[in-house]
Amino acid sequence: MKSLKLTLVTGRTVEQGVEGEHGKLRDEYAEKVAVIELDSEDLGRLGVSAGSPVLVKTAHGEVVLKAIAAKGRHPGIAFAPYSPWVNVVIDSETDGSGMPTYKGIEAEICPTEERVVSLEELIRKHYGLEVDLSKLAGQEVSGGEGGEEQLIKDVVCPFCGCLCDDVEVLVKGGVIVEVRKACAIGSAKFLDHRKERALHPLVRKDGEFVKVSLEEAIEEAAKILANSKYPLLYGWSSTSIEANELGIELAELLGGVIDNTTSVCHGPTVLGVQGVGTVRATLGQIRNRADLIIYWGSNPLNAHLRHLMRYSALARGVFIKGRKDRKVVVVDVRETPAAKMADLFIRVKPGQDYELISALRMAVRELDIEAKEVAGVPVEKIYELAEIMRTAKFGAVFFGVGVTMSPGKDETIENIIRLVQDLNEWTKFVLCPMRGHFNVTGACNVSLWMTGYAFGVDYMRKFPRHDPAIWTVTELLSNGDVDAALIVASDPLAHLPKEAAENLAKIPVVVVDPKFNVTATIAQVFIPSSFVGIEKEGSAYRMDGVSLRMKKVVDPPEGVLSDEEILSLLLEKVRELRGA
Amino acid sequence: MEILIKGGYVFDPINGVKGEKLDIGVKDGKIVEASKIDERSAKVIDASGKVVMPGGVDLHSHIAGAKVNVGRLLRPEDHYISFIKAITGVKRSGTGKTTPTVAPIGYKYARMGWTTVIEPASPPLKTRHTHEELNDIPILDKACFPLVDSNWFVLDYLSKGEVEKCAAFIAWLLDAIKGYALKLVDPGVAELWSLGKGYGLDLDDEIPSFGITPREIITGLCKVNRMLKLPHSIHVHCNRLGIPGNYTTTLETMKALEGMGDGIVIHVTHAQFNSYKGDNWPALRSGAPEIADYVNSHDHVSVDIGQIMFGGATTMTADAPFEFALFHMTPIKKWAGSEVEVESASGIVPFKYKKRSVVNAVQWCIGLELALLIKDPWRVIPTTDHPNGGPFTRYPRLISWLMSKKAREEVFEKINKTAKRRSVLPDIDREYSLYEIAIVTRAAPAKLLGLEERKGHLGEGADADIAIYDLDPAEGAKDPEKIVKAFKYAYCTIKDGEIVVMNGKIAKTTYGRTFYVKSKALGEDLMKEVEEEVKQRFKEWYTIQFSNYIIDESEIRYPEPIVVGG
Ligand code: SF4
Ligand SMILES: [Zn+2]
Repeated sequence: MKSLKLTLVTGRTVEQGVEGEHGKLRDEYAEKVAVIELDSEDLGRLGVSAGSPVLVKTAHGEVVLKAIAAKGRHPGIAFAPYSPWVNVVIDSETDGSGMPTYKGIEAEICPTEERVVSLEELIRKHYGLEVDLSKLAGQEVSGGEGGEEQLIKDVVCPFCGCLCDDVEVLVKGGVIVEVRKACAIGSAKFLDHRKERALHPLVRKDGEFVKVSLEEAIEEAAKILANSKYPLLYGWSSTSIEANELGIELAELLGGVIDNTTSVCHGPTVLGVQGVGTVRATLGQIRNRADLIIYWGSNPLNAHLRHLMRYSALARGVFIKGRKDRKVVVVDVRETPAAKMADLFIRVKPGQDYELISALRMAVRELDIEAKEVAGVPVEKIYELAEIMRTAKFGAVFFGVGVTMSPGKDETIENIIRLVQDLNEWTKFVLCPMRGHFNVTGACNVSLWMTGYAFGVDYMRKFPRHDPAIWTVTELLSNGDVDAALIVASDPLAHLPKEAAENLAKIPVVVVDPKFNVTATIAQVFIPSSFVGIEKEGSAYRMDGVSLRMKKVVDPPEGVLSDEEILSLLLEKVRELRGA
Repeated sequence: MEILIKGGYVFDPINGVKGEKLDIGVKDGKIVEASKIDERSAKVIDASGKVVMPGGVDLHSHIAGAKVNVGRLLRPEDHYISFIKAITGVKRSGTGKTTPTVAPIGYKYARMGWTTVIEPASPPLKTRHTHEELNDIPILDKACFPLVDSNWFVLDYLSKGEVEKCAAFIAWLLDAIKGYALKLVDPGVAELWSLGKGYGLDLDDEIPSFGITPREIITGLCKVNRMLKLPHSIHVHCNRLGIPGNYTTTLETMKALEGMGDGIVIHVTHAQFNSYKGDNWPALRSGAPEIADYVNSHDHVSVDIGQIMFGGATTMTADAPFEFALFHMTPIKKWAGSEVEVESASGIVPFKYKKRSVVNAVQWCIGLELALLIKDPWRVIPTTDHPNGGPFTRYPRLISWLMSKKAREEVFEKINKTAKRRSVLPDIDREYSLYEIAIVTRAAPAKLLGLEERKGHLGEGADADIAIYDLDPAEGAKDPEKIVKAFKYAYCTIKDGEIVVMNGKIAKTTYGRTFYVKSKALGEDLMKEVEEEVKQRFKEWYTIQFSNYIIDESEIRYPEPIVVGG
């Protein structure tokens, strides 16, 4: 049988984002995310047509995914959206950074007769757990139609790190009927917030989910945490600062670990800044002044849809009036949609960002590079880019997980920060991480002001300690170090490498989320929560650190509490159980 | 709870009490006459043989906000080495030495007997963040100063000569973002730094984008400050900070505000960094005598010293080009730069002050010379510009240097000899009395902040913020080590009538207020007109919506507006 050796890259996509919001336990989700994008050339070489299943094998496992045709050209690279399916073949090695290896994995791909398994089958097969998804079927919140119409302006979109705050929401009789100015993903979050909702708490009794009262669910959850020797509190990037503060207090009380999703996205960025510093600017400073925008390993047209219009390439600023006043450069392993609109596209070999950055630092300093090409990029092109950078009046690099997940991880980030610091000897240059979840920047900030560290904080000794090689979600779970988990506003089972996910499935888990997610399938207790930024106010931090107040535009479903309220109850109960 | 503090030596300069044995009563969070307390039901604290003072007030300490938090991010090593453990129900945990987290900030200040602390540099756009951190600092009362010197609205109005409109903008801004006073940092520099320029910006250099000079910004904002009747004067980090020869700029800045009106019209902050003589670093000499002479002969100026403490520090300032320059001078190759649209910029560089370095040793002398040569204790405040000159936790040591020549001489033995030779410090015999210490660390800063009705004294009606130190004013005050020990761990600290520190240990976690200023000095029509203008330009200048810039009172744990000019 034909087979191909390719480099597997996983990442975020619009479909994965939208479908995830609609509910991850629906067949449509599996349909959209259990896929692998192959270049037409590779499809041809494999002799499979788009839509057929392929078997993906790596050193860590194998899984069947549906092959689809890639939109941009990237022969030799297979791209798969984050999902519980592809996790099976991901490496849990973090090289001490806490960050698993999601990108640049060697994979063998071949045609197969097998089909893509359903989520239930996947969980049975890989995690040895039986789940009856019918017990986790979301419900549409009903009622409230008709009545007064109200247009609420300047609403903050609680979806991505752009944190657009100009959204207009039309509410009629307590129901969101129209959303203006937000992008497709943002709109979907507002418009579909009533769909597929988890409306009642569940506790697993004798292996079966049973509906219980909120009091009972809180009691059960508090018992799990209070009886645990060393619990993990994970998630936190899609909820408010207020909820994060309570989460940290709970971790301190329990003597457990609190980690936010930074450890699987921009953890290396944090470590890079710890090492050498940073050069930052708010997005408005960049919009108003930057005549050079570089997207490096970031994919704004897939992950931050309004970024270009509001803050970067296409934005109208005070001194730079729009695209025509700016140069746009894209550095990526594949031709992303943004690459198509760039003045210069640099295709870097997967996993060789560090080398390219080093070469650029040499070129910026006018040193000779004794090679014809570096990281797959001809040296002339490297000098060309260095010249573009040095002659810009104000340059900005927006880097994404394409760089943080590149081998070298934090060392790669240190190198790119040094490049930007070097450039400040010539001109103005800043960099900004493209943070994904709407409040992941806030989760880092509140963690910093309360613990001194941005993520991965241990309280075993009753004071904060930090070492990403030990106290981060992937490390703790793959080493089997924790004996219970509280997951708030996150879905680790959908995103963590198999080795970590496996161990999560073995310990009692409490999930707090507005919707049933993949992690809910293995939970011991599930507590539904309201959507912060839609049904509850709270603050959140934009990717550049600007803090904004999210609004409550409609009431939450009856009986459903916010993360903040649930955590307050949990704190109270745990205190009681621990006899404090 | 009612408290009776019995038999302590009371130092309460605002009420003229100079170490007399007095009883102090506390009821409902306020100071009351001792006779009004029922001794049988009250908590009685025996303060005999101890010193009783109002709670300390720090008017310049970088404790909260985006810049401070990046400082924490930048310095994990600062957090590995210093931590406090949680005790359930009593205190929260935290870490950090020069960039402590919220809990150690509150607790360590309280343990020293300080109860009110001001964050002096907050970019308005990021002030929501500042307030969120202030909310989480236990025990202390707080406030923050917005950075205004490079704000486009300010530059635009002032360059057009529209001082009234500028005042209206400032009044609106303080209320909108819940700020307390106006902070100017190397006035105008952030605007130039947007273009990579600004290092060495002097008083009469032009900022081309607005055709304005730092002198015009300073005098303009000083006028605005007076028009609005703000409780504190403009708070100025002078131009050319950290550059040899800069004492002339500092003198010129103070001179520029002569005749602006009665009372103090400018506070020159961390003056040590702005009192340098000499053409270059190796030739660095103290300009403190000249600065002190000026302050002694003019009553429109107050200063805080910005003392450097040998050891680790984290420099952080809105003076962005200065930090970029410092980055090139330190062996610790870390630099975090940041810029905020329309408003401000900043930089952070970890630093270590060394006794053997001639520059650092001269800096050490300058701070103390300022404190000892300026005669009026109501106008010179000992600070370390935490964490720029060193952490605030070193105040007890600083106090011992002020109070004891012997303590200063001990340090002199160990510092760079050249620096010692260049300094007038060895010839200064002055030693602060405990009464003067009470002035410079509580009464004077409270007064300079315009909070003297409720802070910095122990008269009836004041907030019951009290520090009791285990120090015998007659004997103990002569022994530097006893002074350090007493101020490091207060015997008891009371905040708003609650005992928060007992025997040097945290007894209780409470949360204090955040003060901010509402000025009603200007007419409503003008205020409306300017707000409309701001709204108009906001969309073009900023990337957030006008309405989301405004911080609601509900976002602050215990908001306390100070209404002025009404
Ligand atoms: S770009 Fe992000 S924040 Fe803005 S509307 Fe879209 S999802 Fe929401
Ligand atoms: Zn300062």
